[in-house]
Amino acid sequence: MSIKRLLFGLTVFAVVLLIGGAVVMAQQQDISIVHYYSSALGQETMTALFQTFEAAHPEYKIVDNSAGHEDFKTQILVTIAGNNPPDIFSYWAGARTQFVVDAERLLSLTDFWNENNLDDIIPAGVKPAAVYNGEIYNIPMNVHIVGFFYNPKVMEAAGITEMPATWDEFIAMCDTLKAAGVAPIALGSLNRWPAQFWFDYMVSYTAGADYRQALMAGEAAYNDPEVATAMETWKTLVDAGYFVPDANAYDWTDAADQVANGDAAMTLMGTFITGYWDGNGLVAGEDYDFFPFPVINPDLPVVTHGTVDGWAVPASAANVEGAKALLLHMLTPESQATWALGQGALAAVNNVDTSIYSPVMKKASDYLAQVEFLSGYDLSTTPPMAEGGLNMFAQFMNDPSGYMTYLDETQAVAVDVFGS
Amino acid sequence: MTRTTYRWAALFLVLPLAVYIAIVVFPLLSSFYYSLTDWNGFAIDYNFVGLENFEKMFSDRLFSNAIGNTLIWTVAAIIVPTGGGLALALVLHERGVFANLYKSLFYLPISLALAVIGQIWLWIYQPDWGLINASLRTIGLGDLTQAWLAKPQFALLAVILAWSWQQTALSMVIFLAGLTAIPQELIEAAHIDGANYFQRVRRVIVPLLAPASVVVIALAVINSLKSFDVLYVMTRGGPFHSSDNLAMFMYNESFQKYNMGYGSAIAVVLFLITLAVIIVYFRQSAQVERLYD
Repeated sequence: MSIKRLLFGLTVFAVVLLIGGAVVMAQQQDISIVHYYSSALGQETMTALFQTFEAAHPEYKIVDNSAGHEDFKTQILVTIAGNNPPDIFSYWAGARTQFVVDAERLLSLTDFWNENNLDDIIPAGVKPAAVYNGEIYNIPMNVHIVGFFYNPKVMEAAGITEMPATWDEFIAMCDTLKAAGVAPIALGSLNRWPAQFWFDYMVSYTAGADYRQALMAGEAAYNDPEVATAMETWKTLVDAGYFVPDANAYDWTDAADQVANGDAAMTLMGTFITGYWDGNGLVAGEDYDFFPFPVINPDLPVVTHGTVDGWAVPASAANVEGAKALLLHMLTPESQATWALGQGALAAVNNVDTSIYSPVMKKASDYLAQVEFLSGYDLSTTPPMAEGGLNMFAQFMNDPSGYMTYLDETQAVAVDVFGS
Repeated sequence: MTRTTYRWAALFLVLPLAVYIAIVVFPLLSSFYYSLTDWNGFAIDYNFVGLENFEKMFSDRLFSNAIGNTLIWTVAAIIVPTGGGLALALVLHERGVFANLYKSLFYLPISLALAVIGQIWLWIYQPDWGLINASLRTIGLGDLTQAWLAKPQFALLAVILAWSWQQTALSMVIFLAGLTAIPQELIEAAHIDGANYFQRVRRVIVPLLAPASVVVIALAVINSLKSFDVLYVMTRGGPFHSSDNLAMFMYNESFQKYNMGYGSAIAVVLFLITLAVIIVYFRQSAQVERLYD
């Protein structure tokens, strides 16, 4: 008898536990999230934003399932394809988002955008990053622009006080640095994408932004004379010995260290490098500074390349309301300011007080306000094409002399991807 | 077995079998299925393309590159860990001073995950302060320093060397076990007949190590075919695909280029190659066992 009783008691206990658990779970909804801000600083700031969200919305609980930055690409693909997606995930605006939109895996956020009058707070220059096939699919979180980040002490020691605005001035500066025994340019293309910024500016400033957009869309060919000219211009810099040797052996953070240590004078990188340097205790304006990529052909429009990071909601997300509540929280001026400062990014909204920026980020912010914004290479062209292009940049940095062969090979990839 | 024990055996096998089907057989079959489609990994829709993915391999420069590299890796896997493991086992079997200490030291790499080994060797190959370049500079051979993993002519070999470090330890352990199984009288008899050390090794020990050798070589080949982690950590197949093997190429096509259909087709090819090796291995080991029974 006693065993029967015990079993009965246990069963009742289990049922109570199950129901109780279900009630608690119904009261507090999970919002599952996956993001790629895996650096110490990024994760810390993002977690702080989650905490302020949970404090303001006790009905929600954030479940952060994020992996490392590189693993993120695989993780998000597998969860979406497996129909087990998070409720919201960070994603690069541009071709990568377009790819998921075309696969019909994202939820349109057009109504959300309109209901919350996001046109009022998200600048017109940033909005294109949100729009795909006429609908909103990616809500911007921050903007990064790409330019030269340099070590002012190294420049000063070489007698350089004015940063170059034209190509001739840039070449002259590199010669001065080289004569002073400093490698002018650090580049860490181990993971390939840092080299793409060179390609972006070379094409935009020798062939024009319109031509570049055509190339990204598969409407121009990689073995066109326009691209060859861009590569030739890039090659003259490598041949002149301006780059630290063996770029493919170093990651972008190694290149950042080379500049910080004074082994090199500058590196072409996104504004996120300021987050890395700030985290290492460098002081903006004293230990590092910024100047935009100098214009090569003054007849062509001035642009800035960069990245818009945003948030996307999967079409089959379980908790869409929770995801939208979190989105609104991410767009408040307070959250945006916290994020911009913590991540070394430019806010995606216009109601953040720009006086919070460091002098260097202020420069970048002012520059962004004046010129046209264009996504970087791997966010401008479709992912299979970007694979081919990134490969070509690594080949080029290994041995620039064969660039015509590499361009032919890359065009073969383009034909495969876009059709001829 | 009686009927009831069969029933019980079947009952106990249901769970492991179900797990096996769910995580091995089903994914395997779905790879075969997707290899006949143009699925991009994201989309809900995809088309059947027949054997198009397999036809594409014949004209794909990157595929032949990956096959070539896989072949290089396999050949290296037969030579380096087998030779190194045999040499180490022979030396340590002689029970010199500290033999057990050395055995433990050489055994250590086995206790590390290949991803960790990749990370250690990343540091060893680091161009500015890595062990290899720093050593070269110290002994005055600074001209020979290289950015080992950034050069297409060295990257694959550098990764294979790192991988061999662990594989050699594994081979050593198997050979050591094989050596203890050789009757001491045979070796002594050869000694008395006037065979010197190298003759004893060549004529007596190595032939008697045949069962161990089959295991060593088969494990090395199979491990080389499935190696991915060490490559992923060290080069990701780079620079520009120069160190791609089939597994890395499959990963790149599936998850970087979003050609899940083509990636699955590559997986099928890799599976068939591995299957062929395993069949040869089982036949060989069965033969060797018959020989020694």
